[in-house]
Amino acid sequence: MSRFAKSPWLIHYDASSCNGCDIEVLACLTPKFDVERLGVVNTGNPKHADIFLVTGAVNEQSREVIRNIYHQLPEPKVVVAVGVCASSGGIFAECYNIAGGVDGVIPVDVYVPGCAARPEAIIDGVVQALDVLERKQKEMTALANSLDKALFQRATKADAPEILALQKIAYQSEAEIYGEDSLPAQQQTLAELEADFESVPDMAKPFGWDGPLPVPVGPAQIVFLKAVVNGKIIGSVRGYQLGDTVCLRRLSVHPYFWRRGIGRQLVRELEAAFPAAKRFEIFTGRESSRSLGHFRKLGYQEFATTQFNPKVTWVYMQKDRA
Amino acid sequence: MSAVLGLILIPLAVGGLLCLLRSDALRTALVVTAVVVVGALSCSLAMRPSPMDLAELPFNAHTVSQGVMAVGIAISLFLIYVGIRARNALVVLLALAQGGLMVWFKAGPGAHVAVEQHLFVDNFGVIMALINGLVGGGICLYALGYMREYHGKAHADVRDRRPFFFGLLFLFMGAMFGLIFANNLTWLFLFWEVTTLCSFLLIGYTQTDEAKRNALRALVMNLAGGLAFALAIVFLHQKTGTIELQAALKSDKALALLPAALLCFAGITKAAQLPFSSWLLGAMVAPTPVSALLHSSTMVKAGVYLVLRMAPVVEGTKVGLLVALVGAVTFVIGSLAAITASDAKRVLAWSTVANLGLIVLCGGIGTYEAVWAGVLLIIFHAVAKCLLFLCVGVVEHKLHSRDIESMAGLVVSMPRVSVMMQIGMAGMFLAPFGMLISKWAVLKAVVDASPVLSVFVVFGSAATLFFWVKWMGKLLEVVTPPPRVSKELETGEAVALYGLSAATALACLLFPLISRHYIEPFVAGVYGLSASLEQGNVIIMIIMMALVLLFPITFLNYGRGVRVTDAYLGGANVQSSTRFRTSADTVQEVAIGNYYLHNLLNEAKLAWWGVAGSAVLLGLMFLLALLRL
Amino acid sequence: MSPWTRLLIYLVAAPILGGLLAGWDRRITARMQSRQGPPILQPFYDVLKLWKKENVVVRRSQNYYIFFFLLFTVFTGGLFFAGADLLLVIFALTLAAIFFVLGAYKASSPYSFVGAERELIQMMAYEPMVLLTAIGMYMVTKSFHVHDIAGHGSLLIFALPGVFLGFLYTLEIKFRKSPFDLSCSHHAHQELVRGITTEFSGRSLAMIEIAHWYENVFLLAWVFLFFAAMPALGIVMSVAVFLFMIFVDNVFARLKWQAALKSAWAVTVVLGFGNILVLSLWSGKPAAPPAVVDAPSAPVMVETTTPKLAAQPLPATTTTDRRN
Repeated sequence: MSRFAKSPWLIHYDASSCNGCDIEVLACLTPKFDVERLGVVNTGNPKHADIFLVTGAVNEQSREVIRNIYHQLPEPKVVVAVGVCASSGGIFAECYNIAGGVDGVIPVDVYVPGCAARPEAIIDGVVQALDVLERKQKEMTALANSLDKALFQRATKADAPEILALQKIAYQSEAEIYGEDSLPAQQQTLAELEADFESVPDMAKPFGWDGPLPVPVGPAQIVFLKAVVNGKIIGSVRGYQLGDTVCLRRLSVHPYFWRRGIGRQLVRELEAAFPAAKRFEIFTGRESSRSLGHFRKLGYQEFATTQFNPKVTWVYMQKDRA
Repeated sequence: MSAVLGLILIPLAVGGLLCLLRSDALRTALVVTAVVVVGALSCSLAMRPSPMDLAELPFNAHTVSQGVMAVGIAISLFLIYVGIRARNALVVLLALAQGGLMVWFKAGPGAHVAVEQHLFVDNFGVIMALINGLVGGGICLYALGYMREYHGKAHADVRDRRPFFFGLLFLFMGAMFGLIFANNLTWLFLFWEVTTLCSFLLIGYTQTDEAKRNALRALVMNLAGGLAFALAIVFLHQKTGTIELQAALKSDKALALLPAALLCFAGITKAAQLPFSSWLLGAMVAPTPVSALLHSSTMVKAGVYLVLRMAPVVEGTKVGLLVALVGAVTFVIGSLAAITASDAKRVLAWSTVANLGLIVLCGGIGTYEAVWAGVLLIIFHAVAKCLLFLCVGVVEHKLHSRDIESMAGLVVSMPRVSVMMQIGMAGMFLAPFGMLISKWAVLKAVVDASPVLSVFVVFGSAATLFFWVKWMGKLLEVVTPPPRVSKELETGEAVALYGLSAATALACLLFPLISRHYIEPFVAGVYGLSASLEQGNVIIMIIMMALVLLFPITFLNYGRGVRVTDAYLGGANVQSSTRFRTSADTVQEVAIGNYYLHNLLNEAKLAWWGVAGSAVLLGLMFLLALLRL
Repeated sequence: MSPWTRLLIYLVAAPILGGLLAGWDRRITARMQSRQGPPILQPFYDVLKLWKKENVVVRRSQNYYIFFFLLFTVFTGGLFFAGADLLLVIFALTLAAIFFVLGAYKASSPYSFVGAERELIQMMAYEPMVLLTAIGMYMVTKSFHVHDIAGHGSLLIFALPGVFLGFLYTLEIKFRKSPFDLSCSHHAHQELVRGITTEFSGRSLAMIEIAHWYENVFLLAWVFLFFAAMPALGIVMSVAVFLFMIFVDNVFARLKWQAALKSAWAVTVVLGFGNILVLSLWSGKPAAPPAVVDAPSAPVMVETTTPKLAAQPLPATTTTDRRN
C-alpha cells in the first residue's frame, strides 16, 4: 500500500438522508468498528479530505452544496455514495423534490448499497475508494510529468463542457480582482459556449468595429484551440478573423499549469493558424497586471481602453505580424 | 555651540515667520528648507563628541534670563486670559499659582543664584535631538500635503488657519529642542510651558466644541504638572542651592528627592501616565500631524525625558518604586484598553500611553540597565509610532474612516501604505524588531531590580500582542475585492512615510551601533557602568532579522503550484468565497469582525480603576518624598 | 556535547520523536476509549500523503506565512537546544505563532478567522505564564541561558513548584489539548470546522503538522529543564507530563475561550506570580548583578566576548563616577 491508502481522511455530507446511513457512518467510528485503525479521520472539512462520503438523495437544497464541497476537495479525491438513496435516489427517486442519486451532480467512484448501509459495507466502500485514490494519484503525477508532451489541438463542440469548466477555474483569479459577477467569462453558459464554435460572438469584435458581424462565417475564420495533457484539457483559446484582424479571446489555462509556457504556446499556435491575418488583437482588464505583463512579453501593446461596466475597464492590446 | 543654538532658535524663528506667511508656495519652500536645515544640524550634532562643554555663551546670560522671565510671565497672563474666557477656574488658578511662584522665586530667593551652565548637551540629549529633528521634521513635511487635503475636501467645515498651524508646529519643535538642551531649570521650565501652550493651541485647532473641551483638559493637566515643576525648582534651590539640572543630579540624593519626585510628577503628567492619560486620548481630535507630533517626537517624550533624567536620584528609593508602579499600572491598563478600541487612533493613543508607562517604569527603577532600556524604548517608539500615525492619517483621508474594521483588504486597495503600516506595527511589537528588543531589555532590567514588578510587564506585553496582531490581520484579509485607491500619497506624505519606514528598519538593524555609541556612553557617564547587549544575542537577532527579511522573497513564487478555490462556508457558497445561501434561501455576504473582548474588558471601567490606582500611588509617592524615604 | 551537536540532533531527531509522540498520543487516546487506534506511524503516513496532495488555497499568499511558521518554530527549538537566552526563545516562539495566525487571517475565511482570533486569545493567555517561567528560572539560576539553567546543580522544581504547575497549565494550551482545544479543533467541532487550519491543505497542512512536532519536542524539553539536575528523572517526568496531557485531553470537555483566558491568567497570578513573590521574599532583595562577570562558557552558537552586564570602562570625558 502506498501512502495514500494509509491515510484516508474523509468528509461526510448528508444530502437529504433519513439519518439512517448517517448513524451507520458514525457507528464506524465507534470502538466496535474503529475505522481509525485504518488511518481514517473524519475531518469535517473538504480542504483536508481525500474521500467525499455522501448519504441521502440529492434535492434542490443540497445540489449546490454537493458541488461546492466537491470542488473544494483537493486532488486526488474520491466520491463514495453511501446507501441506495445516494446511489440512485432509492425510494425517494420519484419524489417531486428529489433529483436522484449523487452521480447526477458529481462523478461518483464507489457505490455502497444498503438501506441503511451497514458499517461493514461502508468500511468496505472506503477501502475500495482507496484503490481509486491510488489510481487517481498516479494519473495526477503522470499529468504533471508529461507536461512537455502537451498536445495543442483544434477543439470541437464535444469539448465544450470541459472547456467551460476550465474557463471558470482559470478566471477565478480575475474574479477576485473585479468581483464575482462582473466578468463575462465567469458567467458564460454552456449553450453560449457551444455557439461560439459556429458564429462570431459580440465580444469577438475588434476594437472600433461598427459593421455587422458576418453570419455565417467559414471555418477558416474561427479557430478554437485546446491544450491537452494525458487526455485532459488544461488550456484553451479562441480566435476570430474579421478582415485582416484576428481577435484572440478567452485565453484560459488551468491554474495548476500556470507559468509553464502553456499560455504562450497556445497564443503562438493560434497566430500560426491564421496565416492570412496581418494584425492580432486581444483585451484584458485594466487591473489584471499579470496578464497585461504576460501579453506584453508576447509582443502585444496597449492601444485603447473602454469602460465595460462600473467595475471593469478593458485594455485592448495589438500586435502586427512581423 | 552654534549648532545647539541654531536648533533652538531656527525653528522658533521659522515658526514666527510661518505665522505671517499667507502664500502656499512660500510656506512649502520655507518648511522644506527649515526641515532640511534642522535635520542637518541635528545630524551634525550627533557627529560631535558628547558631552559638550557649553559654559561659554555668545551672549549675556543674564539678559536672556530676564527675557525668559518676561516670556514666562506673558505665557502665564495669556493662560489666565484663556481660563477666564473659557470660564475655567482651574486653569486660572494653576496659571496664577505657577506664574506667581516663579515671579516670587525670581524676585526673592532665586534672584542671585549663580548658574554656570545654562545649556548642556550629552548623548541622551543628542538622541532626543535626532528624534526631534528627524522625526519631527518628517511630520512637518507630511503636514504640507496632509493639511492641503484636510482643508480641500475632507474637512471643508474647518476654517483654514494653516499659517498659524505650521507656525505652531515649528514653535513646538524649537521649544522641544530648548527643553532637551536646557540645563538651567528655569529655562527648561519656560520651554516646558511653551510645549504645554503649543499643544493646547494645536489640539484646539479645529475649534469644534469637542476640540475646545479636550484642549482645555490637556491644558489643565499639563498646568498641574507645570505647577509641580515650579515647586520643584523652588525646593531644589532651597535644599541644594542650585537650579542646574546636572548639578542637582550630582547633589545629595536625600536632599534632591522631593524635587525629583515633583519633577517625576511633572513628567508623568506630560507623558500622559494614568491619572492623566485622558488628555492624550482627547488629543486625537486634532489633525493627524499634531497627534503624530504629540505621540512620537515631542510632548510626551519630554515627559519621559525628564523622568529618565531623574532616574539616578530616585534609584532604589520608595519614591522610585512608586513612580515605577505608576508606569507599570499604566502599561497594563493601557494595553488592555487598546484591545477594546476599534478606532485606529485610539488604539495608537492607548498603545502610546502603555509604552510610555514602560519607559516611566524604567525611569522609576532607575538602575543603569533600566535607563539603558528606557532610552532604547524612546528611540524605537518615536520612529514606529510616528510612522503608524502618519499611515493612519493617509488611510483616514482615503477611506473617510479610521475604524480598524474598515481597513479590511487594505493590502489590496492601498498596498504601499499597508506595507508601511505593517512595518510600523512590526516595529512596535514583533521580534526581532525594535520595541521587542527594548521590551526584552526592560524585562531583564525589571527582573534584576525587583522581580515582582515583572508581572506587570508580562501581562501588559501579552495584551499588546493581541491588539497589534488582530489589526495586522485585518489589513491582510481580503473579503470583498476593495477598490484600488487611485493616488495613494502626496509628495510630502510619501517622503515622510518612506523615510520613516526606512528609519524603522535602520533603527532595528543598527541598534547595536546606536547602543554602543550613544546610549552606553550616556549611561556610563551617569552611573559609571552600563548595560549592553551580549554579542551572541545580537547575532541571534540579526539571524532572525535576516529570516524575516526573507519573507517578501517568497512572493516571487506567488500563485505557483496552488489551486484557488472558495473559502469553506459549509458548502453553501454562492459562487464566491464571501457569499452564501442561508437556510431561509436568501443570499448573504460574509461579515468578519475582530474580537474586542467587550464582555471581559470595559474601557471606561479599566480607565477608572487605573486612574484611581495610580492617583493613590502618586499620593503615596509625595507622602514618602516628604518623609524622605 | 557542544551546542552545535545538540542543535543538529534536535533538527534531525525532533520531527521523528515528535511524530512518534503524536502517534502514541492517538494510540493511547484510542485505548482510553477502548478502541484499537491507528498504527504508531500514522502521523508520518498522514504527512507523507498531505505532501503529495494538491494545494488548495483561498488567497494565493496564505501559504508563505505557514512556511515561516515552520521555519521559526524550528528556529525556536534550535535556539533552545543550542542553549540560548530563554527570553529570546520565547520571543521567537511568539513570532512563529504570529506567522501562523497571520496566515489564517490572510485566508480570509470565516472559520479560519475565528480560529485565528481564538489562537491569539490563547497566546495572550499563555504568554505571561511562559515569561514568568523564564523569570522564575532566572531567579534561581541567575541566568537566562538555557545552557546555564541546564547546568545548574539543583533541581529547579523545588524552588519553582508553583511556576511548574502554572507552566503545565499553559502547556495544555500549547499542546492544543482539551479543555483548550479552542483554535485548531482536533475533534471536528462543528462551530469551528478546523479553526485556524481550515483553509490550509496539502503541503501547507503537512508543514503545520511538522511544526507542531518540533514545537512539542521543544516544550517537553522545557519540562525537562525543571529536572535537569537529574537527567533520568527529567526524562521520566517529561514522559509523565506528556501522558498527563493526554489524560486531561480525554477527561475534560472544552472550555469557552473566556474561561480559558480567565483561568490561565488566574493560574499565572496565583501560582506563577505567587511562586516568584515567595522566591523574591525568600532571597531578600535580589543582589545586583555582579559588575564584572567572568565570561560563562559560550551559551549560543557564538562565543560571547562581552558578558551580559559587563562593566563599560568609563569614557575619558566623564569625570564623575557616582558609584565611588
